[in-house]
Amino acid sequence: MSGGAAALSDKLCTEMAAETDLQAHGDGLRRLVHDVRELALGERTSYSSGRLTVSTSEAAALVSDPALAGVRLACAAPGDAVRIVAVLDAVQPCTKGPGGGGVFPGFVGPAMPPGRGETHVLRGAAVIAAGHLPRAQEAVIDMSGPAAPLSPLAATHNLVIEFDPAPQAPWEDVEAAVRRGLLRVAVHLADAALDAPPDAVEELPGPGAGPVGRPRIGIVTNLQTQGKYKDVFVYGRSLSGGLPTVISPNELDDGAVVSGQYGHPALKNPTYLHQTHPVVAALRARDDVCLAALVLCPEPVGQDAKELVAAHAARLCRALDLDAVILTKEGGGNADADVALKMDRLEEEGIVAVGIFAEMAGRDGTGPPLVVPPTRATAMVSVGNYDERISLPACDRALGGGRLALVDRPATDALELPVAAIYCALSPLGWGHLTCYEAAV
Amino acid sequence: MERAGIPTALLCNLVSIAVRVGAPRIVPTRGIPYPTGDPELGPQQERAWRRQLVERALVAVATPVTEPTVFD
Amino acid sequence: MRIVHYINQFFAGVGGEEAAGTGPELHDGPMGPGRRLAAVLGDEHEIVATAVCGDDYAAGHPEFAAELIEQARARGAELLVAGPAFTSGRYGLACARIAGAAVAAGLPALAAMHPDNPGLAEAAGAPVVESAETARGMRPSLDRLAAAVTKLAGGEELTAADGRVGAVPRINRRAASNAAERAVALVLTRLAGDLQASEIPLPAFDQITPAAPIADPAHALVALLTEGGFVPVGNPDRLESARATKWIRHSLEGHDSAEAGTFESVHGGFSTQWANAEPNRILPLDVARQLEREGAIGGLHAEYFATTGNGTTVADARRFGVEWAAELHQAGIQAAILTAT
Repeated sequence: MSGGAAALSDKLCTEMAAETDLQAHGDGLRRLVHDVRELALGERTSYSSGRLTVSTSEAAALVSDPALAGVRLACAAPGDAVRIVAVLDAVQPCTKGPGGGGVFPGFVGPAMPPGRGETHVLRGAAVIAAGHLPRAQEAVIDMSGPAAPLSPLAATHNLVIEFDPAPQAPWEDVEAAVRRGLLRVAVHLADAALDAPPDAVEELPGPGAGPVGRPRIGIVTNLQTQGKYKDVFVYGRSLSGGLPTVISPNELDDGAVVSGQYGHPALKNPTYLHQTHPVVAALRARDDVCLAALVLCPEPVGQDAKELVAAHAARLCRALDLDAVILTKEGGGNADADVALKMDRLEEEGIVAVGIFAEMAGRDGTGPPLVVPPTRATAMVSVGNYDERISLPACDRALGGGRLALVDRPATDALELPVAAIYCALSPLGWGHLTCYEAAV
Repeated sequence: MERAGIPTALLCNLVSIAVRVGAPRIVPTRGIPYPTGDPELGPQQERAWRRQLVERALVAVATPVTEPTVFD
Repeated sequence: MRIVHYINQFFAGVGGEEAAGTGPELHDGPMGPGRRLAAVLGDEHEIVATAVCGDDYAAGHPEFAAELIEQARARGAELLVAGPAFTSGRYGLACARIAGAAVAAGLPALAAMHPDNPGLAEAAGAPVVESAETARGMRPSLDRLAAAVTKLAGGEELTAADGRVGAVPRINRRAASNAAERAVALVLTRLAGDLQASEIPLPAFDQITPAAPIADPAHALVALLTEGGFVPVGNPDRLESARATKWIRHSLEGHDSAEAGTFESVHGGFSTQWANAEPNRILPLDVARQLEREGAIGGLHAEYFATTGNGTTVADARRFGVEWAAELHQAGIQAAILTAT
């Protein structure tokens, strides 16, 4: 064996050793959970026994960008009399540590599939970007009061990032800078907990693991692909123009899917809810079903493309030998068509299809609940009527902006809003508890 | 509109929705963000395509129908 | 019980289509069908006044309802009864609107119309009882309405047995588990063989009876309509980019084409870059004008109507349709081209 070959062999052995370590959990993911029960700004970013301290200067430096003139940080805790307006995206802090391969592939980590090895997450915390972007529809989070139970981000300790665009900076650059900064800060916060003893260690097996004989259930998650400010990224790329793709649900935990979609506040899927995908969680929580696959699909704007994507997604599900599929969407009535078409194609393939829909039944709930129902499939879960109104009391402090343009009032005022304006109140990924019932005549 | 006696050609891309909601006269278009256009064509061809759509719409409103009908 | 009865200009004897623009007015005592209704109701109830409004006026001025309700209250009204509107769309819309507005304002109300009346969906929480299709069925319609009034006045809820029609409101409430968990449970229910289980009933869309075609576009007045959020640049009327509650109109006179920089789309449901670079992609004005010049179109309506079809409720959309139809009828327009995004 030549010297060169021996060196190569040594290198291979080292790599194999590393691989063996990885195989400690096979193609699964080990999640090390650190609970956050308190959040404060301070000199140095640190985490200890549930208390997360964020260095204002370190975090601001991570967001800093030529497209941004200024960045401000603030904290909002559950129960605070605080309203966050113009919410753009929210992220759960997570990291894989040095050499871990990185999270948020394509933005922070390299653009490669993640979802194996170990990931540290700060549960109970979120980093939120709030401020004006073109085409963003104003989203509201109330940290207390009647709207609080409707938003997942009212239950987390939030680091809120506000920003001022640089003069002359193109909005696209502002948006990209905010998104990148948000993700970097999320990693930075989780890095502070790398050496802390986790509150829980969760083993997440790879897709399809477990005893045979249990029903194989897949998830089809449609991602909005409607151009600037209405796009979602997988490994940093838009699925726009593409076909459905199958990834491991564990990749979501590592931030494989990042939102750049700012429309339809109540019907929005922030990065946070992709990372903690409620249907993935619901399937993982049961031992009588098998979480078999996650299919990500673009939501194209054209009818032909919608039909192609629906037919192709159904074929993929068939090839994955699924018994049933739960479908999720992002956006309004147009996005219902993508779910409805896929449900119909799946039923034609002999696969049980359950779609999660929001109702658009008018303020008083007497309109037809769906604009585009499926024709063959009929199993639907309702996340509530998006037109119903909700009264919010006045609050002490507003973050994200001083006014709510939607109602042209100071952001701290008592307001009456449609549920549609409450961030994630009708989460199409199934986070919420709202549903509709028929009032007695 | 139709119910009120005004024949109306609906130019839209989501034909299946239009049929399902019962729009009587439907002219299919190529994309949601541009019902009477197609940015992939050159300006001359695009205008010709738009003209074709409006001509189809005129045919549609001058044609008797009894149920959702697609004019393409 | 003191009742105010709402009817349109036709049943009040003011006139037909030519009087449809008549504004809201309150008259003492029962009028038209109200006389028979009062007779059927008997002595326990009194129609103290009749509220009248022209159908076109009511379709174009939703505030007619609030005005009449205020006047009705001034007469001590304890119940508002509207119709019967049979299958008349604008009349049905007006009856539904005033009944809905009365209930919202705390005045009990009841409307009567045929189940196919497009106004039915606008009743917003106010009960509606069935009437016949046309005024030929006035008598049985009034009998049913009177019975419903008596029951409602007695504090009872109306049910299908009373001829109640229209959608039952679906109200938000909190479920025990989240939607994702319920979706998994629904999968298992379905896999276990229950093929009916669902949280949302399959909706029945209204049947649309197609309009008769026009004889020849070359001799017709045609309107351009769009739900593409199409506005003059700067959006002076502040048309909403989503969840539109109104529609706008704007003159097309002097415009040979929908020029970029003059018109734009504020639609919030898609990227407007293509529409704003070439607004004729939303409203095909350039080719419509060309066809008008060539004589293929008799004439284009001097204005276009636009709303934003993005999360708009079916009820609002239906209302826009009824209002557009009323406007176009009045303007003598025979056909329309509606672009949808």
